[in-house]
Amino acid sequence: MADESGSPFEPKIVAFCCNWCTYAGADLAGGMRLKYEPNFVTVRVMCSARVSPHFIIRAFQEGADGVFIGGCHIGDCHYVKGNYITAKRVAIMKRLLEFLGIPKERLHLVWIAASEGDKYAREVDAFTEKVRAMGPSPLKQVRFWKDATVSKKIYKSEAAAETPAGA
Amino acid sequence: MQELKDEVKKLLEQGSIAGFLGMIATTSGVVPHLFVADKADEIEKLTTGDVRYSLVQILRWIAVRHPDDKFGIMCRACDERAMTEMFRNSQLSMDKVVMLGIPCTDELRIACECEEPTPKSLLFGQSTAKKWDKADVERIDAMETEERLDWWTEQLGKCIKCYGCRNSCPMCFCRVCTLNDDPLVKRGEIPSEFPSFHLTRAFHMAGRCVDCGLCEEACPMDIPIRTIYRKVRLVVGELTNFWTGESKGKSPLAELGDGTFPIQ
Repeated sequence: MADESGSPFEPKIVAFCCNWCTYAGADLAGGMRLKYEPNFVTVRVMCSARVSPHFIIRAFQEGADGVFIGGCHIGDCHYVKGNYITAKRVAIMKRLLEFLGIPKERLHLVWIAASEGDKYAREVDAFTEKVRAMGPSPLKQVRFWKDATVSKKIYKSEAAAETPAGA
Repeated sequence: MQELKDEVKKLLEQGSIAGFLGMIATTSGVVPHLFVADKADEIEKLTTGDVRYSLVQILRWIAVRHPDDKFGIMCRACDERAMTEMFRNSQLSMDKVVMLGIPCTDELRIACECEEPTPKSLLFGQSTAKKWDKADVERIDAMETEERLDWWTEQLGKCIKCYGCRNSCPMCFCRVCTLNDDPLVKRGEIPSEFPSFHLTRAFHMAGRCVDCGLCEEACPMDIPIRTIYRKVRLVVGELTNFWTGESKGKSPLAELGDGTFPIQ
């Protein structure tokens, strides 16, 4: 997998990490000097339930190749039941993304506790590898709302219909 | 038809309802109208019509201004499902509403398809509308992922952001709409952002959409928007066994649950 400049494709992944567990786990991974992939752009949120569907949609829309959400284990949530919501939300969101043509594997939810630095490093490596194998996000090709040249793509079928046969 | 008029007349004369929200035939077409006891002669012009309006939303606005009065409403099966959700979401009070069910007309039978076309409170006649065969959702499910993205880009790219789907929706009752929130979804710029504009609304319809089809009817660009919402309804139904407009009790999306919902 390589882009136009010939360098191998490196995915850009937006990671929403809960302040109390996953972010602390990421801290621990750093403290333990574990080596893991540098493709994550981490956003610290107070709870994984703070990750509104907007955040996920917007991340994909702005060109993220994958979205990673990390929260506390069920029962460990600092706000008692915040991650209950996240689990339902992500399950629905994955199916909707799939329905619109964005592979659901690009959205990943995982529970990582503050003590699981090694799990954080493993999850980062595994998800980065998965997204790298999938290639760039298909949404990068359809960002027509910013790029007028791509917007022609939408109307290509209509244009094809107007062109007389055999022309 | 006469059964409905008689029933409305009876209820208004008894004074058990303050008004009846139905549709009236005027020279400029069929429009929603609130029938009251003072103007009993208008009831003769009451019609079920071959058009649909979001009567549920109109009733909500009336009920906000007259919280102590009881109102009657004309209900097709889709309106009835919407009413169930309004009760569930505490937008209307069950003991302040009398629902009178009507069957779908022949025109609607051709134009519309629905999971259950017969309202529970049906007064007369019978609804023989087409049952939804899931063909539209299955057709897209059968596509390859890239093909699906192309298809939706083409369809949703036609959007002119008229907000018709939101404004016609019987279930859109939020006071502040996220589609009007500039940092999240830009107003007044077309083509609309893909997929945020439509996906945001679709996600919000989880556990709410009653599959009435008014959004698609309202759409001036003929976007098959109903298909997305139908998919949302199916997804929620399959994941949590909650079917909007039919299931009893609280929506599983409205309450936290017991934490046994697995990561999927």
